[in-house]
Amino acid sequence: MKTIGELLNFALKSYADLPAMRWLEKKEIRERSYRELGEDISAVRNGLAEGGFHRDHIALIGTSSVEWVTAYFAAATGENAAVPLDAGLPAEDLLELLNRAHAKALFLSPKNKNLAQQVRANCPEVRKIWLLSEKKEDGLETIGDLKAAGAGKEKEFHCMPGDIATIIFTSGTTGKSKGVMLTQENIAQNVESVQYEKEPGCVMLSVLPVHHAFCLVMDWMKGFSLGAVVCINDSFMHMVRNMSIFKPEVMLMVPLMIEMIHKRLSAADPAIPKKMLAEKVFGGNLKIIFTGGAHLDPYYIDRFAEYGVEVLEGYGMSECSPVISSNTPDHHKRGSIGRPLPNAQIRIENGEIQVRSTSVMKGYLDMPEETEETLKDGWLHTGDKGYLDEDGFLFINGRVKNLIILSNGENISPEEIENRLALNPLVGEVVITGENNGLTARIYADQDVIRVKELSGDALREGLQDVLDTYNRSQPTYRQITGLVVRKNPFIRNATGKIIRTEAEVDE
Amino acid sequence: MDNTVEFKNIVAQYTEIAAEDMTDDMRFREDLGFSSLDFMSFLGELEDTFDVELEQEDALQVRTLGEALEMLDRMTEE
Repeated sequence: MKTIGELLNFALKSYADLPAMRWLEKKEIRERSYRELGEDISAVRNGLAEGGFHRDHIALIGTSSVEWVTAYFAAATGENAAVPLDAGLPAEDLLELLNRAHAKALFLSPKNKNLAQQVRANCPEVRKIWLLSEKKEDGLETIGDLKAAGAGKEKEFHCMPGDIATIIFTSGTTGKSKGVMLTQENIAQNVESVQYEKEPGCVMLSVLPVHHAFCLVMDWMKGFSLGAVVCINDSFMHMVRNMSIFKPEVMLMVPLMIEMIHKRLSAADPAIPKKMLAEKVFGGNLKIIFTGGAHLDPYYIDRFAEYGVEVLEGYGMSECSPVISSNTPDHHKRGSIGRPLPNAQIRIENGEIQVRSTSVMKGYLDMPEETEETLKDGWLHTGDKGYLDEDGFLFINGRVKNLIILSNGENISPEEIENRLALNPLVGEVVITGENNGLTARIYADQDVIRVKELSGDALREGLQDVLDTYNRSQPTYRQITGLVVRKNPFIRNATGKIIRTEAEVDE
Repeated sequence: MDNTVEFKNIVAQYTEIAAEDMTDDMRFREDLGFSSLDFMSFLGELEDTFDVELEQEDALQVRTLGEALEMLDRMTEE
């Protein structure tokens, strides 16, 4: 298959009467069939075309919901490009991304509705905003209005394989996030190339953030292509509870989730039989967890196997739509990140994993230099170090580029945070490092400011902690800094005056 | 009703610090080593165990054991 539309139409025709989605509304389970979902997507897609949106960038800000999924597929199959943004980002970042993405319209979750006014004032290219809700609030139009405008209309859409379907913003190594442009073919081929089969009607529970390529493509698109019932986890707070409610057979997780569940399994009374505990914690039907986004200690694979749950690790990045390699139920090796997908070629150059595949992005939006650097010689330079073993399994053993990969799968650009902290006069030099699932700021205070303010010892630490607290309040939890090291000496620098990151912990 | 014992037993599932060594001023992330997801899951467990419904945005502002226990006591009294 070459487009998301082909993939979706196949699912809508093949599984019309099966449930496509389940979610909770006031603790009641709600459901939508493939046929109903298809009708809604079609109406919203027509509504967008009626409004004059064609070959435009349509942004979405919100967490997983039936409205979000409907709006996403309507945009991506209606000759527009969908731009999912992280609803947890501070307002100023979201406004900047809307402008950098050249978004012409915005779907906004009711939780973020306060942003609407700021978008109108600061994003001149955004012509329309719709709430991702059927219920009108604060005089804003809704996806329901758009659906009504498009219902019953007969329109034809012809997306081409090379058309941009989605732009996903990812952390950049130079500090500025990059808009990864994925084509229709990039995504459709990734869905098709992941070797995994399940009977239609199989239940999946989607717990990852929907603006991430892994969730979007592998939960929703792969799920739909299999005729799965994809259930929505309404909050990380209720993940374990929702596993008992929806009883999934397959889930996608990042390592942090696996570690958290393992803590709960370990803390249980050892007298409880493993089968009973598995039912309590995993819901009773869970057989497979696909994981990726960060390294997983193989220890957890063995522990989960004791509870009848197979953990299969894979590897990918947004630039590859996203899966590059994956272990499968039939072919897996402990500690590896699986064999490359059939549509991917891998080579190792100077230790770096490089990829050529039909799923490699078209480039970064408005960043020709960064695109050129990443897609040199027709190969995607992943920035990860690794090797292929004699059986063709890929292993990863380090990073070339300077990104911190947290165990929740979030990629953090340390420079982006350092640049913000350095705006405070008290911060002389700062390096962000990733430790114990969180971030640590190592700061050498500005010596002039210390002298003028007569700061030392606890007062200096408090002053720097205040700087971090102020920063943390404006950030989503995964970007907050939980550790502080007050350096007594400046950082070690190289001949060109740049701080040597690998020696950031030396001479503290 | 005193929620302290049951509350600390739930906390103990996520940390290596024993319930009897916990003090009110301990911070979840910095002192007890909770990951962001541990903390979310912990809040969900409080809801299930004490049959309360927490406001996620407010609950995420909680930093220390004392603050969390205070929030819980307030909710169970209502």
